[in-house]
Amino acid sequence: MLMNRYLYDGTADGLLSAIAWILEEEPDPQQVALVERENTLFEEGFFIGTDVILAESLFFRLRKQTPDAAHTLYSFMLAEKEGMETSLLHYISLAFRYGDKVNGYLTHSAVQEIVAIAKKAGRELHRMKGLLRFEKLRDGAYLAKMEPDHNIIHPLAYHFRTRLRAQHWFLYDVKRRTAARWSNGTLQFGTIEQFTTPPLSDDEKKVQAMWQTFFKTIAIPDRKNARLQKSNMPMKYWKYLTEKQG
Amino acid sequence: MDTLAKLQILSGAARYDASCASSGSKREVPSCGTGNTSQSGICHSWSDDGRCISLLKILLSNDCRYDCAYCVNRSTNSVERASFTAREVVDLTLDFYRRNYIEGLFLSSAVMQSPDVTMERMVRVVETLRTEEHFGGYIHLKIIPGCSSELVRKAGLYADRISVNIELPSQVSLQRLAPQKHKDSILEPMALIGREINSSLVERQADRRAPRFAPAGQSTQMIIGASPENDFQILRLSQGLYKKMNLKRVYYSAYVPVSADNRLPVLAAPPLLREHRLYQADWLLRFYGFSAEEILSDDLPNLDETFDPKTAWALRHPEFFPVEINRADYATLLRVPGIGVTSAKRIIAARRFSAITPEGMKKIGVVIKRAKYFITSSGRSFEKPDQTPALIRQQLLLGEGYGAPPPRQLVFPGLFA
Repeated sequence: MLMNRYLYDGTADGLLSAIAWILEEEPDPQQVALVERENTLFEEGFFIGTDVILAESLFFRLRKQTPDAAHTLYSFMLAEKEGMETSLLHYISLAFRYGDKVNGYLTHSAVQEIVAIAKKAGRELHRMKGLLRFEKLRDGAYLAKMEPDHNIIHPLAYHFRTRLRAQHWFLYDVKRRTAARWSNGTLQFGTIEQFTTPPLSDDEKKVQAMWQTFFKTIAIPDRKNARLQKSNMPMKYWKYLTEKQG
Repeated sequence: MDTLAKLQILSGAARYDASCASSGSKREVPSCGTGNTSQSGICHSWSDDGRCISLLKILLSNDCRYDCAYCVNRSTNSVERASFTAREVVDLTLDFYRRNYIEGLFLSSAVMQSPDVTMERMVRVVETLRTEEHFGGYIHLKIIPGCSSELVRKAGLYADRISVNIELPSQVSLQRLAPQKHKDSILEPMALIGREINSSLVERQADRRAPRFAPAGQSTQMIIGASPENDFQILRLSQGLYKKMNLKRVYYSAYVPVSADNRLPVLAAPPLLREHRLYQADWLLRFYGFSAEEILSDDLPNLDETFDPKTAWALRHPEFFPVEINRADYATLLRVPGIGVTSAKRIIAARRFSAITPEGMKKIGVVIKRAKYFITSSGRSFEKPDQTPALIRQQLLLGEGYGAPPPRQLVFPGLFA
């Protein structure tokens, strides 16, 4: 059976408004495919233009009717995964049909794919809440650099906005060149074109040496287990870990 | 002595305490303060032994009056001694917390002049953190057996979790290896803490502003392999602690030979496999609805080395199987080897939509390499039906990575395509 094929412009808003349009117009969204427009001459499919209001209202309705699915969708978007549009469309149509129970429908491939990707993003977010390391700068602010697989700077910043609200800090995603800044009770996000590491505060190296010492002595020598350490804390995160330097 | 040198001594002396949990407490950031706690707990690093680091785990002092045979800090052991000042611990905690190295502080201590003097100094550290520095992060405080109940109460008001170490699984062993510690001085504060936690919960139901007492509960730890108790005795003790004392966790710590003493066994290495099996059995007690008497008995007093305790139970109870995954209730699913809490919940959620097939099991992420011998789906077996426990035992041993790894088979891609 030939599926109806729809196209959108490749943006997040475009994706959500296309899904909203299809859910409204198509009798059976499960039989429909949605892909990003490639702008080739012979591309087949019907293009749906971006409508920000439609996109927002879709997310709003989802959050109201099924908060679990809305949360899954949020985490899924952090993964910046390409080529999953059709699965996402099917997932959201099922979410409106089944409500919060939908995440249990793991025998359905669309649900399984979307939930798996969202879970992975959520796992890295939780991990980075622990593995992020701040360094104190000469002006008294704190800076943390990271290169996460998922685009988690927003929810990560919300976590530290509460936890470390008494200090000034920056988060910098080196891979995406995005930054978050918390200062005087306001949180701001932006991009950084040219990054130069500012000078560290005078006592910073002393505190780092204490942490490195603690890290070394807290391990029981008779129980050394490098494999377990690496499986809990993959080496891709070591680059910015204070305890793994020097 | 500078703080760095003290830290080296007093973190090295604290590393044999197993607990590092930072979960179970929901504390908001105090106004104009720093730090909160996360209900699920957060690990911040993993040390070279693979264990999670979430708390700054240190002793206030390792200068001990007691002479417990198993302990690295025993008074007759010739190790370098050091003691932190309260200010040093407070500053270390805040410096580490602000850089996101840690979730909070786990403070314990050797017994200095007396239990009361020691406990008072420990309480002063956390009091400073909470009331002067407005620190809202996680605090785990060890209770020194023999200290006054007033200090225990104070500790519970500042800390998220408090714990009294039971040290050894029986009174006889305690007497032999730790003659200065008495069973009563350990069990009394445990019971007191249990009562205080309960009454604080009751008070908070009436008035939400009533003070919380150790909101993350109490835990304890015992050393495994330094004394002759069998696993059945240990599990029954843990079961009693969970049921009667309302403990959150019992930690088991494989005995690491840290000093030569003719009262102690000579071990080539710490009994890590035994510790692992005890943790598995402990999980069965807390989350899987098993009793100690189902897992072990007087005739079978020690846990199987080859199989995990649930698989060992299943092999002894063929009459319980096979379990039909599309009909069995949650408690029954939990008894299937290879199906844990997550898998059982997923099975129940997924079968609301349609019957689960063997392929469906894979899709929802249930690993069936062990479960397949014990389940049916809509009446169909995953393996040849009616296999004897002996045969299942053999197949589990062959195929599941128990014992020696199977020889590697070479695969030539495309040869059979």
